[in-house]
Amino acid sequence: MKLFAKSPFKPLIKHAEVVLETVKTLEKALNAWYHGNYDEMRDLAVEVDRLEDIADRIKEEIRDSLSSRLMMAVSREDVLIYLHMQDKVADSAEDTAKWLLVGRPDGIPKEVKDVILKMGTESIKAAKLVHEAIVQMDRVIESGFAEKEIEREYELIKAIEDVEKAIDELDTELMRLVFENADRFDWSTGFYILNVARTLSNISDKAKDSAERIRLMMNK
Amino acid sequence: MDPLLLVTVILGFAMAWNIGANDVANSMGTAVGARAITPKQAAIIAGTMNFLGAYFFGKSVADTIRKGILNVNMIHDPMVIVYGSLSALLAASIWLIFATYNGLPVSTTHSIIGGIVGYGLVYAGSGIVDWGKLGQVVLSWILSPIFGAIVAFFVFKAIRGTILARDDPLRSARHWAPFWTGLAFIVIGTMFYIKVLHGSDLAKGVIFYGIPTGFVVFLLTYALIRVKFKPSDPYIGVESIFRKVQVVTSGYVALAHGSNDVANAVGPIAAAYAVLTVGLSGMKVPVPRWILALGGLGIAIGIFMYGYKVMETVGKKITELTNTRGFSIDFSAATVILVASWLGMPISTTHTVVGAVVGVGLARGVKAINTSILRDIIISWFVTVPVAGLISAVIFKILLLVG
Repeated sequence: MKLFAKSPFKPLIKHAEVVLETVKTLEKALNAWYHGNYDEMRDLAVEVDRLEDIADRIKEEIRDSLSSRLMMAVSREDVLIYLHMQDKVADSAEDTAKWLLVGRPDGIPKEVKDVILKMGTESIKAAKLVHEAIVQMDRVIESGFAEKEIEREYELIKAIEDVEKAIDELDTELMRLVFENADRFDWSTGFYILNVARTLSNISDKAKDSAERIRLMMNK
Repeated sequence: MDPLLLVTVILGFAMAWNIGANDVANSMGTAVGARAITPKQAAIIAGTMNFLGAYFFGKSVADTIRKGILNVNMIHDPMVIVYGSLSALLAASIWLIFATYNGLPVSTTHSIIGGIVGYGLVYAGSGIVDWGKLGQVVLSWILSPIFGAIVAFFVFKAIRGTILARDDPLRSARHWAPFWTGLAFIVIGTMFYIKVLHGSDLAKGVIFYGIPTGFVVFLLTYALIRVKFKPSDPYIGVESIFRKVQVVTSGYVALAHGSNDVANAVGPIAAAYAVLTVGLSGMKVPVPRWILALGGLGIAIGIFMYGYKVMETVGKKITELTNTRGFSIDFSAATVILVASWLGMPISTTHTVVGAVVGVGLARGVKAINTSILRDIIISWFVTVPVAGLISAVIFKILLLVG
């Protein structure tokens, strides 16, 4: 029967996998940057860009398949906005990669680098949780919106919010560090550091926005 | 054999072929879509069950005019029935071929009724049509899907409440799947009595056929699930239990379909046969066994030749319809048809199944339903009677001029 349309959830999960891969690759790039392996860093940053392209393509496919004439278990608008937010997670990772590529990585104090690396590790957590959350959303529908599955989903959303908070704190700490050490580097390095940090904290911001959308999906 | 009779038989066979080709996807579609059976298995089950249903349980007495939609007393020349039957069969076949080709599940009953009304109007004007009866048929367009939707909505909610939403869905499924299966078979057993054995006493049907069948199936399912099932992921486990149940329920829908819808093909043949061999004799005509066999065979061949292709298309598409949902749809359709038969309401299996799909969708059970396809299907229901009627009227007019 043509009556049944393809569910958007399998492709959404696929998209989340690519987004996670993008963030993981970015973290590897940050690691290379931290250890001064700049060639490796550049290769990885280019790879981030490539993965973001793949995520974009999957996003387009999902959008094209979501006709307004679908009757779904969750609202189409929520799915589309969720997809947009999830894609922004990869976009932010790409932004960070861009800054890594254009900036001069030398002359950054170790304590600043430490905080940035930590933010990278936390960002992976956020992306992993987003992936888990969309897998769990599929399960919520499979269970016919059973309380206990919704409960589990709320825990994941809570965890994403916690990670976002942790990264926010790291971001604040980094800003403080940059201004405290302002005389140890020139303005362009400061600008560079702050933008790497801003784009990094965007990752978890968008992860949190995605989580918010999942909350709305369950409330339809 | 009278050449007119031969032509009627051929057209009746073509009609049966179309019933098989068009309707098989409606009864087996959910089972194939939910991967409970392969298209090949579906064709074999549907072909066999439809033939058995048609041959053994098809009505041995048919209405001279399907559902008494025309006033037989106003037909003075018996040959009108022969020409009329020919026109109706050909018109319904043409419309069904068109619908099947476009993947629209339309009601075969409504097609043949449209064909009959068409020739009736040409023959004697609007006075010959029993508009009250036709009104009932029209009402069934609206009521079948609505009842299907309402029942499916609550059945799915109940499956959710008793199994899916429990702390341990697999454990709950072990207890509740046999219960739901048993309940389904109470419906099925009773339907067997009413539809297949043509019994009329509902209480008798429930007590002597429904409940014993349900109880035996309950025990069997309970035993099978306990012994054979190895748990893995709870939801996958639940679905695999319902996958087995669906094989059986879809087979039954096919049996009931054969016994019920074969009349659309054999009724007109029997009417023409009666007129040509013994002359017209009132509202009812006997249906010889060989005509039933022919109808059953036609349906089975239709399934193997074309219905199979429809199923393959269904099977290749990723519908992500899971077995608990498929079961909810089958169970609800069966229940609605049982109650409707008992109330004497003309009901369409096709319309009820489509309604049930929407019902489960409204209960947030189906991840995505194509409402544009849904709109096409509903439009096709509304045009079935007029279009089949128009084609039939034209054919009948030509036959009158030629004959």
